[in-house]
Amino acid sequence: MLAQQLVLGLLIGGLYGLAAAGLSLVFGVMKVLDVAHGELIMLGGYAAFWAVAIFGLDPFGSLALVIPLSLLFGVVLYLVLFSFVVRADEETRVKNSLLIGFGLALAFHALAVRLWTADERSIVTPYGGSVILVGDLAIPVVRLLSLLVAFLLIGGLHLLLARWRWGKAIRATAEDWQAALLTGIDVRRAYLLAFALGTGLAGAAGTLVSVGYSISPSIGLEWTLKALIVVVLAGLGSMLGTFVGGLVLGVAEAASAAAFGGPYREVVGLVIFVVVLIARPRGLFGR
Amino acid sequence: MLEIRDLDAGYGDVRVLSGVSLSIGPGEIVALLGPNGSGKSTLLTAIAGLLRPRAGSIRWQGEDLTALRPHLVVERGLALVPEGRRLFGSMTVEENLELGAFAARARREQAAGLERVYALFPDLRGRRRQLVRSLSGGQQQMVAVGRALMARPTLLMLDEPSLGIAPRLVASIFEALADINRAGVGIFLVEQNVQAALTLAHRAYVLESGRIAAHGPAADLLRDPHVRRAYLGPLAVHG
Amino acid sequence: MTERRWALGILLALGALAFLPLSRARDDVLNFVFLILLSITLAQSWNIVAGYAGQVNLGHAAFFGLGALLARVLWIRGTPIVVAMLAGAALATAFALLIGAPAFRLRGAYFAIGTLALGEILRTTVNNVLPEISTLPAATIAGYQLRHRYYLALALAAVSVVAVTVLAGSRAGLGMQAIREDEEAAEASGVGALRLKLTALALSTALAGLAGGLFAYYHISYYPSHPFGPHWTFDALLMTFIGGVGTLQGPVLGAILYVVLKEYLAVRWVDFHLLIFGALFIAIVLLLPGGLVQAAERARGLVGRRGRRPL
Repeated sequence: MLAQQLVLGLLIGGLYGLAAAGLSLVFGVMKVLDVAHGELIMLGGYAAFWAVAIFGLDPFGSLALVIPLSLLFGVVLYLVLFSFVVRADEETRVKNSLLIGFGLALAFHALAVRLWTADERSIVTPYGGSVILVGDLAIPVVRLLSLLVAFLLIGGLHLLLARWRWGKAIRATAEDWQAALLTGIDVRRAYLLAFALGTGLAGAAGTLVSVGYSISPSIGLEWTLKALIVVVLAGLGSMLGTFVGGLVLGVAEAASAAAFGGPYREVVGLVIFVVVLIARPRGLFGR
Repeated sequence: MLEIRDLDAGYGDVRVLSGVSLSIGPGEIVALLGPNGSGKSTLLTAIAGLLRPRAGSIRWQGEDLTALRPHLVVERGLALVPEGRRLFGSMTVEENLELGAFAARARREQAAGLERVYALFPDLRGRRRQLVRSLSGGQQQMVAVGRALMARPTLLMLDEPSLGIAPRLVASIFEALADINRAGVGIFLVEQNVQAALTLAHRAYVLESGRIAAHGPAADLLRDPHVRRAYLGPLAVHG
Repeated sequence: MTERRWALGILLALGALAFLPLSRARDDVLNFVFLILLSITLAQSWNIVAGYAGQVNLGHAAFFGLGALLARVLWIRGTPIVVAMLAGAALATAFALLIGAPAFRLRGAYFAIGTLALGEILRTTVNNVLPEISTLPAATIAGYQLRHRYYLALALAAVSVVAVTVLAGSRAGLGMQAIREDEEAAEASGVGALRLKLTALALSTALAGLAGGLFAYYHISYYPSHPFGPHWTFDALLMTFIGGVGTLQGPVLGAILYVVLKEYLAVRWVDFHLLIFGALFIAIVLLLPGGLVQAAERARGLVGRRGRRPL
């Protein structure tokens, strides 16, 4: 029973890692704390829902549509809003981005309620009910596939940042944006790319959430908090580390649900978050 | 080549540079001397485009640089080795050098550029896959100079390249600068080690409290009593 | 000086509102004004710590919730409501002082997300411990007098306005504003930053606790975790920023505008107001950090200049 819980925790942990990767990238590179990240995940979930409903795509196949759409949406959001935020000095930037993300979160939430009602939805798949039995453990196929896809996406992102010319430019900008300018990198473009990638990851995470779990317009805050917790746990700078941080959070939640009862599964992550935050007030999100 | 006229610059309420004018010709080595806080780094930062001046002009080959964003200044052939090197510590030596050739013009010659840097600093060739933060201060300075060279600059600007580096390595850095200059690259050098700087340079400017206090051929300044007293004398403690 | 004048104007308006129940106003009008008054108190309480001391507290609902929780329990068991509310406020402040010192190790946005998490911890815990809906006893419902709630709300709104006015003119208030502008510079010039931030938090959470008690007194039934919901914080933040953060009149104007628009729009589209206020809020953060108050000042400046004639 406990083992079963832990396995399910591990499976959702992969999505926590994916959700956090986008936030980590955007914060690490731009020093912009986008608390609407959870709402971007929510919107991605609905995009997937409609891709499946309208075009009859396979839920995982819908990623091929949702990710490019999210990237594009990220470009628009950056150009319309965040390109103004990044002009401020770092402290103002973090604070303003927090406030703006907060306004965005409210607006997206209201919009989603209007467009899709406040009901919970999830994508129904033909293979939705299948499980793989390993001894006593029942592993839902869809969630296992989600974990796998999350891992592949994180791996892809890692390669992109390690090998691609602009990937290196993004890393350089994260480390020292002024030095990046001095080497001839157009830092604003690096910001644009990082923000688009972050939004693309949020879209992908939303798709997986709507397949294996469920979405509603109000899941945003919860997912923003999950992503923040993972970022604090894993630090900035390594996408693979962020993924592992997500797995750790998923397992920790499952363990605490087993120890203190289901309703407390949310609390453990938040407590870890607050404790780490207060223990490392300045070096937070440090490398 | 580089023409600065009546430049005023500063941060917030603080005015750092007032009415600075200077010029650097093609292939020249020019040193900029002055006590700490006199505005030397501010001047380099303004030329590189990281700080927008309040008044005055910075013209490079006839074009006004103050209107350009910093990455385009690099594209035009001015590269700065900033104070404290500002390398990307979590990346390898080679990644740092490649990033130096980010500008479109330099990228086409990236492979040749790498060869040139490794020929100049043979120490780095064997460490190309090493993370920069694991290098010594002197080796890091070589990477910093190499990174700037990768941009194929016409004018190389350096801010305190000898700071915090073992004397033996300082000599090899200065030799490298002489080599770089022989290949036709102009050099604009801010340096606390006045003796070394004036020995290398053709001309020099002295910046005091944000104004040009003296300028002339390096050999003349080396003999100038005021410069000797302020920057070379036994009582001079700067930096 | 203008702050005093605004305080006087607002208090006069609140005084005039005292006559509203005498005019046999319909209950829905009283309910509507009640909502505005509660919002003014909540926004003003948030304004103290965020607007004056510059600490964006995103866990404000926790203190509102604690005040509601204790006041409700005591009141239902027979404690006079004012005493119950004061006890609720004391609990909120005690909790604030408990978490204050560690929380203030966080600066800027980190304080904001840290307090957001604290608020969520409290909400989840209360939701788990007290999942049952809280409903007033039948006898209390039978004797329910809306007017009592109304007058209490009026008094509380007046208290919040007086508190902010006194604070704004005091040495402590000036110190808080110095911290808001530049904490390190303020400390360097001898301002005890931590002590003043704790003072601001204590005052802010005491008012929030009182507002929570008023909520508990007003509603016939609700889930105990409801007043802990993050939307209370978000409402206070929106009202304060839209009106003008760090001013006396800003949160009052913001609360009026917010409630009026919310109630008006709710008829056609639930949560539509959040879309509008979310967008308005973003515009304010980017373009007009002083909110409506700043906009009014600018407009007046233009009119004033145009209206001035050479002698």
